[in-house]
Amino acid sequence: MEYFDINMDLTAEDKAIRAAAREFASKVMRPISLELDRMTAEEVVADGSPLWEFFRKAYELDFHTILMPEFYGGQGLSPLQIHLVYEEFGWASFGLSVQLAVACFPAYCASMTADDELVDTFVKPFCECRDGSIRGCWGITEPEHGSDVIAVGEDYFSSPDLQGNLQVVQDGEEWVINGQKSAWVSGGTLATHALLHCQMDPSRGFAGNGLCIVPLDMEGVSRGKPLEKIGQRDLNQGEIYFDNVRIPRNWMIAEPDFYVPMLDMILASANLCMAAFSTGLARAALEESLTYTRQRVQGGKPLIKHYVMKQRIFDLFRRVETCRAVSRAAMNLNFNISPPHVEYSLWAKTQCTEMAFKNTHEAIQIWGANGLTKEYIAEKLFRDARATLIEDGNNETLARHGGHILGETYPRRPIDF
Amino acid sequence: MSVFKDKEMAKELFGDLWNKMIKETEFGPKLKQSGITILFVVDDPDIVMYVDENGVLFDDEAKAKVPVVTMKMNGDMVHKYWLKKVNIPKALAMRQIKAKGPVNKVLQILPLLKPGQELYPQYCEKFGLPTNI
Repeated sequence: MEYFDINMDLTAEDKAIRAAAREFASKVMRPISLELDRMTAEEVVADGSPLWEFFRKAYELDFHTILMPEFYGGQGLSPLQIHLVYEEFGWASFGLSVQLAVACFPAYCASMTADDELVDTFVKPFCECRDGSIRGCWGITEPEHGSDVIAVGEDYFSSPDLQGNLQVVQDGEEWVINGQKSAWVSGGTLATHALLHCQMDPSRGFAGNGLCIVPLDMEGVSRGKPLEKIGQRDLNQGEIYFDNVRIPRNWMIAEPDFYVPMLDMILASANLCMAAFSTGLARAALEESLTYTRQRVQGGKPLIKHYVMKQRIFDLFRRVETCRAVSRAAMNLNFNISPPHVEYSLWAKTQCTEMAFKNTHEAIQIWGANGLTKEYIAEKLFRDARATLIEDGNNETLARHGGHILGETYPRRPIDF
Repeated sequence: MSVFKDKEMAKELFGDLWNKMIKETEFGPKLKQSGITILFVVDDPDIVMYVDENGVLFDDEAKAKVPVVTMKMNGDMVHKYWLKKVNIPKALAMRQIKAKGPVNKVLQILPLLKPGQELYPQYCEKFGLPTNI
């Protein structure tokens, strides 16, 4: 079923892009996601796993370059078109959506520099890749540091007491990296490249961090085991270890003097993606529940004919439409201005993940005992949604960060140019 | 005080530079191919420039156009950019350069402008602008 779009101004191109994404989402992503969900974390990344088929098909169709500039081979999609695609992906699988989005993070950040060497080494090969063999990850959290890595408004963020688990020191024209990233790095055990947050000046806490790009086939890099978790089991996550890994100086794309605003720019983009995926996830809960309530008969009539179910289905619907309105508005703003107004990305991520979670929670209630069984999709949607409240910054930390921004910047001046 | 002596000097320099880039380098055809048009809003000296595949317009004529991307910065930042002395992620993050328009189009402008960076030193010599800033 094609879900109605309240936007009457979608162009033929918008609709064609959405249809292509819908086709891939329903015929490739959803079936593979269901299959991966039943496998162990080790099996998900083993040879012959359908995960590799997902990568191959996604790259063949250029879905890995959605965020990349057209000049380097990206698709040049508008913010609305990016949302249309990401909503469909989120509908099919939140975990695989994240997997594909983080794949471009190292190349995307390298493209911001316009540095010829970085472009030739990281950006062009990624954009030209059609077999899924170049895959990025976002290495930000550490074993001892979860959401505190983004808590820039807290006193401890710039305290020397905040010692990172990944340190980097300069040695001539090179940076030397030592330490590890947490088991929560999305794509951690299968990525070929990392966008890596690392502590450069421990005397400044995480305000002394930097951001670099590291190919993960370099000497000194090793991986942990794929992480077992309750939801988004199709999303590979795992530790990465660095033992005297040496990178050239220009692969460090942000140093402490502008690390914090750079972190905000990355967080703003990542949170917008999370919000768009959540819209799809909330919609999946609605659509699957509506189908179920039309088929399942109780008391001699389909569930949807029962008064309470009509109300519940409508509640799912209004949350989907709110998610869509919120996430599209935030994406339209922050993918159209540089630097972004970060609080709008935080708003979209926290609001949409909470509503998507609520929808999947309510879906199980609608499905009754069947919702608790692995026979139906409702429990998977619920498990996937639960992770989103923590992923990319737990919502409480993001809300505190948003409040910090409001305290520092409001009232925002109009964008007057 | 800006590196540019006055507005007229900056307009003469950039009028010449943009036209040379569009007509004599790969910038012109690539700009046309990309479909991108750019409005530069510069402070100190206050200049507004609109650039598309056909050339450059200034001030009121430029303001009347609807660009794909608008970029705002001060004159010294413009000068440093053409001299390849701007760290773009830093300038964006620190709001030294502000942009409006699809982010992937903004990122596309940076490599497009590279022919101008090769030409700019000769303009510095012609107009007596410092290159060691």
